[in-house]
Amino acid sequence: MFAYDLRLALDSMKRHPGLSALMVLAIALGIAVCTVTFTIYHAMATNPIPDKSSQLYAVTLDTWSAERPYDDDKPDLPPQLLTYRDATYLYGAKAAPRSVVMYKSGALLLPERNGVKPFNAQLRVTSHEFFPMFDVPFQYGQGWDAAADAGPQPVVVLNHETNAKVFGGENSVGRTLKLGKIEYRVVGVLQPWAPSPKFFDLNNGSFEDPEDAYIPYGWGKALEMPVYGNTNCWKPESGDTYQDFLNSECIWLQFWAELPTIADRDRYQAFIDNYARSQKAAGRMPRKLNNVLYDVGQWLDRNDVVQKDNRVLIGIALLFLGVCLVNVVGLLLAKFLNAAPLTGLRRALGASRRDIIRQHMTEVLLIGLTGGVLGILLAVGGLAGIRAIYGSDFTRGSYERLTEIDPVVVLVTLALSLLAGAIAGLYPSWRIGRTAPAVYLKTQ
Amino acid sequence: MDIKPILSSLRRSPTGAILVALQIALALAIVVNSLFIIVQRMEQISRDPGIDVANTFFVGFQASSERFQGEVTMREDLQILRSLPGVQAATVVNAVPLSGGGSATSVYTEQNEKGRRGDMNYFQVDEQGLETFGAKLVEGRNFDATIVTMPPKNSSTSPSGILITRDVARDLFPDGSALGKTVYTGTNQPVTILGIIDHMHGSWPGWDKVGNVALFPVITDETYARYMVRARPGQRDAMMKLAEEALGKVDNGRVILRVRSLEYVAASTYAKDRAMALYLTVVVALLLGISALGIFGLAAFNVSTRTKQIGTRRAVGARRTDILQYFLAENWLITTVGVVLGCVLALVLGYWLSTAFELPRLKLYYLVFGVVGLWLVSLAAAFRPARRASMVSPAIATRTV
Amino acid sequence: MFEMTQVTKAYRTDLLETHALREFSLKVGKGEFVAVTGPSGSGKTTFLNVAGLLETFDSGSYRLDDVDVSKLDDDARSRVRNHKIGFIFQSFNLIPDLNVFDNVDVPLRYRRMPAGERRERINSALDLVGLSSRMKHLPSQLSGGQQQRVAIARALAGDPALLLADEPTGNLDSLMARQVMDLLEQINGMGATIVMVTHDPELARRAHRNVQVIDGQITDYKPYEAHSASVTVLHPPAADATYG
Repeated sequence: MFAYDLRLALDSMKRHPGLSALMVLAIALGIAVCTVTFTIYHAMATNPIPDKSSQLYAVTLDTWSAERPYDDDKPDLPPQLLTYRDATYLYGAKAAPRSVVMYKSGALLLPERNGVKPFNAQLRVTSHEFFPMFDVPFQYGQGWDAAADAGPQPVVVLNHETNAKVFGGENSVGRTLKLGKIEYRVVGVLQPWAPSPKFFDLNNGSFEDPEDAYIPYGWGKALEMPVYGNTNCWKPESGDTYQDFLNSECIWLQFWAELPTIADRDRYQAFIDNYARSQKAAGRMPRKLNNVLYDVGQWLDRNDVVQKDNRVLIGIALLFLGVCLVNVVGLLLAKFLNAAPLTGLRRALGASRRDIIRQHMTEVLLIGLTGGVLGILLAVGGLAGIRAIYGSDFTRGSYERLTEIDPVVVLVTLALSLLAGAIAGLYPSWRIGRTAPAVYLKTQ
Repeated sequence: MDIKPILSSLRRSPTGAILVALQIALALAIVVNSLFIIVQRMEQISRDPGIDVANTFFVGFQASSERFQGEVTMREDLQILRSLPGVQAATVVNAVPLSGGGSATSVYTEQNEKGRRGDMNYFQVDEQGLETFGAKLVEGRNFDATIVTMPPKNSSTSPSGILITRDVARDLFPDGSALGKTVYTGTNQPVTILGIIDHMHGSWPGWDKVGNVALFPVITDETYARYMVRARPGQRDAMMKLAEEALGKVDNGRVILRVRSLEYVAASTYAKDRAMALYLTVVVALLLGISALGIFGLAAFNVSTRTKQIGTRRAVGARRTDILQYFLAENWLITTVGVVLGCVLALVLGYWLSTAFELPRLKLYYLVFGVVGLWLVSLAAAFRPARRASMVSPAIATRTV
Repeated sequence: MFEMTQVTKAYRTDLLETHALREFSLKVGKGEFVAVTGPSGSGKTTFLNVAGLLETFDSGSYRLDDVDVSKLDDDARSRVRNHKIGFIFQSFNLIPDLNVFDNVDVPLRYRRMPAGERRERINSALDLVGLSSRMKHLPSQLSGGQQQRVAIARALAGDPALLLADEPTGNLDSLMARQVMDLLEQINGMGATIVMVTHDPELARRAHRNVQVIDGQITDYKPYEAHSASVTVLHPPAADATYG
């Protein structure tokens, strides 16, 4: 029976090729626009570390001014970064099974290899827990230990691309590398690794590539390494030395804690609240107690990783699909009603109402599926176009990553196109199925 | 043209007409709101930055050895840059305008953070800073080389005199001239306003105070600093090459990392807005296209299924123009219902966008564009089928098959 | 009423030329009831199309009401159809979306007639065909005979001088066919000129004059004699049929 329905559907499409093409095109465009939008949205909203996203917490303390909130648009939220002294205390207290303190910096990298120009390497100045906490995969070697942070010892972990650029991709563990004025020994090389969004540090763009290399946290203070992220201060700070800066209320450090259970989290919350109270007693932290632990998902939300623009586009894309569907419903209805005398004849020859509905739905789903496949092809083209226009040049790889079509999106899209077809076809099919055979058999 | 017969015909089989009207309504809602967003973004992008964007580029550099001697080395480099034939002016700068990265601070009209506050995005430049940016001074004078200083690293010392834009001046002294006035930093250091810049954009184009800019007579101590160079008109690309070569020949303890035009930087900063505008433009174009095709398809189909009826009308005396008018009027009627409904939908969508996403409220006159636009699109789409209908021969009426 | 002289009409396709009318001449006087008969493909319908100004012709002349209509443009021909000619088609050609009243209204609309006069005319036309009570019905709710009577009312409402009927009973059974014929005779009796195309000799006999067309030409052309048309109503108009 299905084969017969399919043949009837094909015949019917052939009878009005222009109309059929128009319907396929309408569905294809609707699906294409949705696919492009969903792909970008999906890439933005993806959980970058699904296994541990509910165990890793960004730690925030409200250390801001009594007079105004950190962010006027979100007055109830504490700032995302910590002061040096708070971060130092929290890190030293070891109240969590694991915690990491870090910031982004940079230094001139002078490769020994011929033909490679010096470049300003983006660095993550971080305590050693970074690698195990964020499940960072190593290709060669490993990270460093607490002693290296405290030393600080001149050790460095390179990411995959930097190792390829500087050492031609070979196992460079044990080799040395000059960053700024210091010669570092390579202890580890990462596998290609680029969590997207770059959840652990969203300061310089949510979809940036991770840093070129990692050095122990102690070097930050020892070398007075510059801050490449944001430094925000709410009160005028006097003093001319780096130590003055470290003692200030300026915020610039990222701090994460790994808290495997809810109990751990509650305990840690109590710990930071107690600390904040003690600071209040000492005359700091003038705002009301507001210290928040964000797991990865909450952190992405709090930082508006999915941009407003993209939410707007999702809405517009769905409305666009709506227009396409209404379009198709109109065309289908006209087409089916036009063929009503033939349908009446089929009814007279013994087709049941369900037969008629099934026959028409087959045609509709065929149109929907054809439109869906064409739509995905158009979407692939569209995404390639976006990549071409906004290539990686501008934004360190972010568009590359955002415009990769995802099998999940493809499946969702195909399901959507069938659903769209079904919705579009339901009324016309039902309407034509409902007609009494006699009406259309009588004259004309 | 009498619309009563059209109405009674539509009343008899309204579904197709309702669907077309609904489609037009949805399309109108999307088109109007998209257009609004597009125009906003384009306005944002095409604002006058008050800077000679087309002829300016920067050279990023970083100290690489002990031979780098701060101000001395930088002055040396600037000397090289300024001696290039096609260079109009050059300065060292702590941040690049329109790049998304920069520094800001506040000054007050009274001590202890009292009085009026002026937020400003500041650029540390030397005496050629003003000319390099191509900004226009409307009051006062530019600072000369003598007051340009290089404070020690991490110092919170402020310069004694600065240039500010009119926007900052208005925030600080709304009622009178800011020129020559003294303002105070958060640490109560007095700062004199030496001159007022007409208009200039700072580092963050998305900031609502993007025009709040100040120039500080300071040689920056950033580890990653830039030389900003303004070429003579049309010579930018040549000067970019020449500058890289000339600086590369001198080994004075720093390496040149990157030479980029300000145009490129501005383009990448506005990439997101441009992408949004482009994306919505494509959506609007596709939407109008698909709506036009849909209206055309349905109209053509209706005409082809009504040829007998059209022939009969012709046989009983309808002129070609009567038939043409009939179909255009029918289309106009449906479209009008659609656009009226569409206006309501557009307002609802606009309201939703403005509340849920804090976008500006839809301006009502955009509805007019949308309505006229869709009317025309719809009319154009229906014209060919209507014309084909008017060409139907009256002799069709006597055909029995 | 009208006079066709040496009218020739050919249909051309890429390969062949078919002569539908060949030097066709016919004169019909005011008040006549002429039946045009002939086998199918003989050119009857083409003659009717030409006579009704639905189609143009290649050569010859055609005078309608002493006006040479061969030179008229499309709009003027539409006007002539609207004012002077009423059509009755084999397949009725009612507009399915419009009810009985609105269907009869169609030609009057194109005459830009004021609403009051239109209503009057529609009412009296529907009265004449005995369908005043069905004004609000849709064509699909009527029997074939009733539909054809609506079509006749539509043709009559404009008060045409010439009524052209194309196999008016072709789609009807014999009882309804007879009712329609009775109606046509009644209308003829009221002064309208009727030209009816039919292949049914039975029906043709009820006309005053028979013209036979074969191969686009008239085979037994009898010139019209001014006072031979004595009108006899053979059957009284039937009352509204009881079915439908």
